[in-house]
Amino acid sequence: MESYLLATLTFAGIYALLALGLNVIWGMAGMINLGMAGFFALGAYASALTTTALGLPIAAGVAAAMALAALCGGALSRLTLNLRGDYLAIVTLGFGELIRLIAANEIWLTNGSDGIPGIPGPMRADLTPLQFNALSCALVLTAVAVVWVVAERLRRSPYGRVLRALRDDDVAAAVAGKSVRRFKVQAFALGAGVLGLAGAAYAHFTSYIAPDIFRPLLTIYIFLALTAGGTGNNAGAVLGAALVIAILEGSRFVEPMIPHLNGAQGAALREILIGGTLILVMRLRPQGILAERPPEPERAAQP
Amino acid sequence: MDLLPQLLVNGIVQGTLLAIPAIGFTAIFAVLRFPNFAVASHATIGAFAGYAANVWLGLPAAPALVAAFLVAGLIGVLSDEVALRPLRPHGALTTAIASIALTIVLENVVRLIFGNDLRGYDLPIVRDWRWLGVRIGPQQVQNLAMALAIMAAVFATLRYTRIGKAMRAVADNPALAELKGIDPVTIGRITVFAGMGLVGAGGMLLGLGTSIDPLTGFRFILPIFAAAVVGGLGSIPGAALGAMVVGIGEELSLLVLSPAYKSAVGFVAIVLVLAFRPRGILGERAY
Amino acid sequence: MTYYMNRRLFLGTSAAALAAPAILRAQSGPIVLGTLTPLTGVGGTYGPAMRDAMLGVVSDVNAAGGVLGREVRVVSEDTQTSPEAAVRAARKLIDVDGVAAIMGTWASSVTTAVAPLCWESQTMLMCVSGADSITELPHGGYIARTQPNSKLQIRVAGEFMVEESATSMAWIGPQTPFAASSIEILEEIAAGAGGGMESLIYEADKSTYRSEVDQILRGNPDFVMLGGYAADSTVLLRDIWQAGYEGRIIGPAYAVNASVVETLPVEVLEGVFTWEGAPAVESAAYADVQRILGVEDVDPYSAQTYDHMSLAILAMAAAGEATGAAIRDTLRTVSQGQGEVVESAVAGLAALGEAVDYQGASGPCDFDEIGDITGTQFVFKRIEGGAPSVYKRV
Repeated sequence: MESYLLATLTFAGIYALLALGLNVIWGMAGMINLGMAGFFALGAYASALTTTALGLPIAAGVAAAMALAALCGGALSRLTLNLRGDYLAIVTLGFGELIRLIAANEIWLTNGSDGIPGIPGPMRADLTPLQFNALSCALVLTAVAVVWVVAERLRRSPYGRVLRALRDDDVAAAVAGKSVRRFKVQAFALGAGVLGLAGAAYAHFTSYIAPDIFRPLLTIYIFLALTAGGTGNNAGAVLGAALVIAILEGSRFVEPMIPHLNGAQGAALREILIGGTLILVMRLRPQGILAERPPEPERAAQP
Repeated sequence: MDLLPQLLVNGIVQGTLLAIPAIGFTAIFAVLRFPNFAVASHATIGAFAGYAANVWLGLPAAPALVAAFLVAGLIGVLSDEVALRPLRPHGALTTAIASIALTIVLENVVRLIFGNDLRGYDLPIVRDWRWLGVRIGPQQVQNLAMALAIMAAVFATLRYTRIGKAMRAVADNPALAELKGIDPVTIGRITVFAGMGLVGAGGMLLGLGTSIDPLTGFRFILPIFAAAVVGGLGSIPGAALGAMVVGIGEELSLLVLSPAYKSAVGFVAIVLVLAFRPRGILGERAY
Repeated sequence: MTYYMNRRLFLGTSAAALAAPAILRAQSGPIVLGTLTPLTGVGGTYGPAMRDAMLGVVSDVNAAGGVLGREVRVVSEDTQTSPEAAVRAARKLIDVDGVAAIMGTWASSVTTAVAPLCWESQTMLMCVSGADSITELPHGGYIARTQPNSKLQIRVAGEFMVEESATSMAWIGPQTPFAASSIEILEEIAAGAGGGMESLIYEADKSTYRSEVDQILRGNPDFVMLGGYAADSTVLLRDIWQAGYEGRIIGPAYAVNASVVETLPVEVLEGVFTWEGAPAVESAAYADVQRILGVEDVDPYSAQTYDHMSLAILAMAAAGEATGAAIRDTLRTVSQGQGEVVESAVAGLAALGEAVDYQGASGPCDFDEIGDITGTQFVFKRIEGGAPSVYKRV
């Protein structure tokens, strides 16, 4: 039971990293990234290949994961700077699918749909499964804390305020100068780097990645987490991720209590429960459980 | 290349079928200003409603298509009232994300009722006609005719009827339309009904050559979105044109690209078009 | 999703438990086993029946008094055909329910994803996945699969095509872990027979494959082999028929299964060949699955999961211990050897005491040291008038 709780908490941490990464992109640059699974995949593959094919330590893999995802994120946002949100949503959705297709078809690089097994985990060989889950949980939650702090600092910085102003004002965004546009690309790259970090965490925790993992279902879960928790709010992103994992996992225990006929119907009921709960949360708290609040002025700025 | 004419024919047929749900999706965007991702489950619902009419009630394809339209449209309005309309004041993104949750619920309602088994329509199957080395199936021709008839009906409605004119007015300028006494809520409902109806009919048209299951709609959504975006989100002629671009592009890509990358074509088309025209080929005027 | 035995049996076992000494009583709760099949997602067409077949076995076993004097309880989870969701589900089965075995994983990626959790926690994993790489994992005996490995399957079918005097062959399928190796093997076989071979890997889950079909039929092959699953196969078979193809078609029985046969018009399927690891159709096990599922034509995957559950139960009974390690250690003692042939878990439980050799619904169920099934016989069927009939056995 402890092992299950620790593993679930670790997954919640990975979901929280994903929600935080998306939140940097959305909350700061105002760009919608439905290609989340693609950046998650880039990070997972970069770290997996660095540690298995190249045999480098896990820390190098994590660095490679963040770098590659950030690089691709920067390039994609540079390409799509002029697009309005709705268009960007669909362009990024396509990007995510493209990454999955590449992962499935470029066998020489990614081992194709067989996936990459045996990705090393930190000290995995020396620990019992329970200890390993505890260590993974601690590491992932530390990463969540670090990313949270950095994201909060950025949000409160002058740089964050400029971006937020742009996000909320289309006209200003349209006439914004080159340097401000560069801010947006940087924010997207930064958020994508966090998504890549989540990918690396997933790869080293579960030890196996394959293209099937990066189907849009996961992107859906994370967007639901972010929206339910409160877009633009880092605490909301983490809370939302915890909520979604709680619903995903909790529904397993609720489902047997509902009378139904067969396996497909039971599974369908579980997913109806998941989707329905999220709609209910959004109906009750349309701004998210924790609505976005403008950061309080920094003390130094006060007279 | 000897395959070229054949690929063009296949692409035109596929593009025309794709246009129907793409028009439905873009019409909802034009009036309500959010991308409604619940099109996936509504395409499935339409395919299953058509199946029920065709197999259980023994109706031929055309009346079954009407059933697909009506059922998907009705469920579209009902689910929109419950799940999405109350969220619209809170922004397009919130509503769009809620529409994803809605599509999960609806897909699984279909699964709850019909199970996961594959189901096929009860329609006679005929070998293709061949003409100058190019083949086309009688069923395809019939589907093509039905799709064109639906498109003609959509354009006639928008141009000549009061409801159509009101929808265009709301799409162009909601504030002005309201001043003129057009009730945006009623127009919104009518649009969702017609839009999701078209998505349902499109789901059935695309599903006729396959076997359907609760994931049917999910298989079609990427090209549907791509078509709407390429043409210009919210532009109905744009959706039709975008569908042709994506449909033909996907087939022609076989000449230069591994078929394993077919879905990438829609993405590449989007990036290419948007690089030059950030609001799609035809811009965003609804009609 | 738990599966409870009837009340009379429950009272019976409870009474027995109370009478047992304390040390035994600690062990005398129900034995918990896990099913992990795809109930939603692209594998959803197969998973529900796979699960039902396993529940049927347990229901019979409980009705006959359970295993080691204990009731068997099944907890079912859904893989959602996603390795990520499957890992979370497997964690719950292992850590919360404490299952001794997880059975019925379908997608190769799902099996590979949950495999490390299983061997680390000494839980048996039985799967129907075909990717050759699965049994090469360092699983320490905790994986067994009832699906013949894909290289063997393709080789047998390739040789069949040659014997049916095919000189030019074609393979068309989606990207899977065995797409590349299938093409390689068929090319080798075709070259050996002095013929040609065309192949095409398409993107799964499209609504039409007309252009792909045109491309693969350009060389007018004698034989076309399908490499996908049921949903794709219905589209391909239609498209190939409409294209006026006059040659022969062969597909794995899981891809051209009863639901495909039911869905497609009779003329489209006329003359289509299927092949599979020969189910023992005359056996009591096969009849059992037919009864449990209420169908005439049993899907190969359902037959295999019936065997998963039967084997796990027999292995625990033979070991006298309801753990994953016990199943690993005694699996081969009940699945092969010179013992009395038994064809269901209930019959096996009755015969235990002497050595038994379980022969299941999917075949003889003998495993080699890495967990691959061996000695599989294959059966080729030909569909005539909308019904498959046996054409050849090898």
